[in-house]
Amino acid sequence: MKLPDTKEVQTEFKPKILAFCCNWCAYAGADLAGVSRFQMPTNVRVIRVMCSGRVPPELVIRALANGLDGVMILGCHPGECHYSEGNYLTRRRAHVLKRLLSYIGIEPDRFQLRWVSAAEGAKFSAVVKEAADKITALGPNRWGDKR
Amino acid sequence: MKATSEEVKTSVKKLFEDGSIGHFIGYEMGSDSLRVTPCFLKSGQAASRLVWNPLCANNLSKYLLDFGKVEGKVGIMVKGCDSRSVVELLKEHQIDRDKVFIVGVPCSGIVDREKLLAVLGVSPGEVVAVEDDGDAFLVTIKEGTRRVKKEQVLRGECLVCRYPTPVIYDMLIGEAVSSLPWVGDDYSSVKELEALSSEEKERYWSSELSRCIRCYACRNICPVCTCVECIFDKKAPRWLSKASDVSENLVYHLVRAFHVAGRCVDCGECERACPMHIPLRSLNKKVEKDILELFGYTAGIDVEQQPPLTTYQAGDLDEFL
Amino acid sequence: MVNQTKSRIIEKNRLTELLDELAQGYHLIAPVRDNDVSFRRVESGSEVTLDYINTVLSPKNAFFPQTETLFRFSRGDSQGFRTEPGTEADREQVIFGIRPCDARSLRLMDMVFNGQYKDSYYLKKREKTTLIGLACFNPDKTCFCPTFGIDPTSGEDVDILFSDIGDRYLVEASTEKGATLLDRFAKFLSELRGDEEQLRKARKAGLVGMKKLDVSAIADKIAPLYEGDYWNSIGMKCLGCGICTYLCPTCHCFDIADVNLDEGGERFRCWDSCMFPEFTLMASGENPRPNRKARVQQRFFHKLKYFHDRNAELACVGCGRCIRYCPVNIDIARIIEDVISGKAGNE
Repeated sequence: MKLPDTKEVQTEFKPKILAFCCNWCAYAGADLAGVSRFQMPTNVRVIRVMCSGRVPPELVIRALANGLDGVMILGCHPGECHYSEGNYLTRRRAHVLKRLLSYIGIEPDRFQLRWVSAAEGAKFSAVVKEAADKITALGPNRWGDKR
Repeated sequence: MKATSEEVKTSVKKLFEDGSIGHFIGYEMGSDSLRVTPCFLKSGQAASRLVWNPLCANNLSKYLLDFGKVEGKVGIMVKGCDSRSVVELLKEHQIDRDKVFIVGVPCSGIVDREKLLAVLGVSPGEVVAVEDDGDAFLVTIKEGTRRVKKEQVLRGECLVCRYPTPVIYDMLIGEAVSSLPWVGDDYSSVKELEALSSEEKERYWSSELSRCIRCYACRNICPVCTCVECIFDKKAPRWLSKASDVSENLVYHLVRAFHVAGRCVDCGECERACPMHIPLRSLNKKVEKDILELFGYTAGIDVEQQPPLTTYQAGDLDEFL
Repeated sequence: MVNQTKSRIIEKNRLTELLDELAQGYHLIAPVRDNDVSFRRVESGSEVTLDYINTVLSPKNAFFPQTETLFRFSRGDSQGFRTEPGTEADREQVIFGIRPCDARSLRLMDMVFNGQYKDSYYLKKREKTTLIGLACFNPDKTCFCPTFGIDPTSGEDVDILFSDIGDRYLVEASTEKGATLLDRFAKFLSELRGDEEQLRKARKAGLVGMKKLDVSAIADKIAPLYEGDYWNSIGMKCLGCGICTYLCPTCHCFDIADVNLDEGGERFRCWDSCMFPEFTLMASGENPRPNRKARVQQRFFHKLKYFHDRNAELACVGCGRCIRYCPVNIDIARIIEDVISGKAGNE
């Protein structure tokens, strides 16, 4: 299930990054960042989920094995989850997953968990940019081209 | 005193006679003198088939899932590690405590068949019997008896086993073993891999996972893999292609390791079942180590303890970049 | 019988050179040791090991790969979809070191892939392959190939047979294809010294005591056991994993699937196993083989009866892999014994 070749002429490495954004906070934060016209990297694809707790590790692993260079989960700050505790559970899972990924050679920076509220348009733009910079520096995901 | 086959036979026979159990799951000798096979009994007469020896590697606890609807209690033989997976099954309400009768046997290590044959330099047909003898095994071969140090021939999980005596049982056969002398750092091999660079780790695991033939033995034998429909068998959405290549194998093995996170008791069955000798315990051990460090949790000890990934504390380690 | 005039010998120290040169002219597949011994493409003779009883995986992968792209398709211009052939192995290949049991399994596979329907993917590879067998003088305890009329030291199903007779290999061609190949590499071979047959005979002593069961009437004997309780006791143990079917040199079931992406995709086939519940799962949710007992029973009935009904051969060569690697020790030889002796009917 290789991702389609988008036929982009790539002169320099531009990573493909997936960002799972919680509907109640980070997704609204992304919206605000857009409305506020903050600069943002163009290679981050956003998928809206109802809660960061909705993102099972399978999705992250699947994305990385399919060739994405990085995956982010962006959720509500602790204590602010729309469903009370979804982000707390995500946090535990993400810590275990990050270490497991690093164990098989996926650099820790390729998987990130960040808290962005609906009011933090500037933070959204900043964390996404920071992630894109770090992943660009790492280069292509070595697990992405294995078939 | 150590438990013997004779004791197991008489005890199980008695359990059938006094009506404590209606079924029993144990071990009997298999194709040759180095193989045992699971054995299912419905009456005490057949108890003479049962054996207990250092070859009894199978974790029988998963078979309990097949006995949900039978009359009477189901007796089962468990070693330390097996008892921990019984705890996990109880914790997840997969089995009913009132329906099982747990016969515990303290275990001083199980033989790794292949290591043993390599150390002795003999073919499987030449070994007649293997007996436990403290820090060594007494192996009877055609030419006589040889004493082989346990450290050389134990299964990997037995080398780091901290629970040789069952943590839960209704009856214990033999004397409890509190600790095993050879057990040192549980995670030394995990630490070695952790120390490699990302590139080296990727190379190591690509090569290991490239051998996977996706027979699903590791999943099917796992005592805590209890889903009625496994995510990998789902047709829509298809999480995993039926094509066997390194990327798909990676998804399979990472998701498998994650699904047993905080539940794996390191009984080593996945690695024992793997015909391709993929170091599967390494992935499970890594997760086990992190969960211990992050949340101070060890699986399979206490039925009342909340599984670590279904709970949280406000003060847990926070977001990360 | 092997034509004596075609028999030669090769000194052990010249084997690596021979393999080196074979690897240059052909796609050479030979046993390699990493964790275990497995058949792998090799580029030089030094990679090859000859210290093995048999490989974990049978060499069926070379003809019937676990995953094989049949063709690729892509969105073309106005003409619609474009297709192109998959990863076609259009090359002459040599398998070195195949055991007589595995060689026999190819004859059984041929009945499936070269029967009523011709499977071009399989046949093309089969035609382009030369089999160099390695006689087996030191079988495993789980081996029982004589049961199926296989002589583990015979070159019946290979093109060339190598027999390790101590300081040298006896090399015999049993087909034209084999003889032609030997002629090409004649410079590595030398004339017989005369004591070869004697040495081979001496080595055959290692075969004494190999399990040989009388399977002449097994298909008839197993038929009435369809309803019996025997399969329950086996099914109860069975984990439902694919080890036995995937390691089996004669198991040949496969599935075909498409990978669909925006721009195109591919159709591939891959091994499948009757031990998996999904193997018979229907779209409605109905599963005609709903439990492990039904699946285990199917496996043994297929091997010992259905295949026999269709092809007058049993679908087992006694290589012993399923016995060696079954994590719960389900033992086909023991099952055959139980069926023959009537024990299976009494349970």
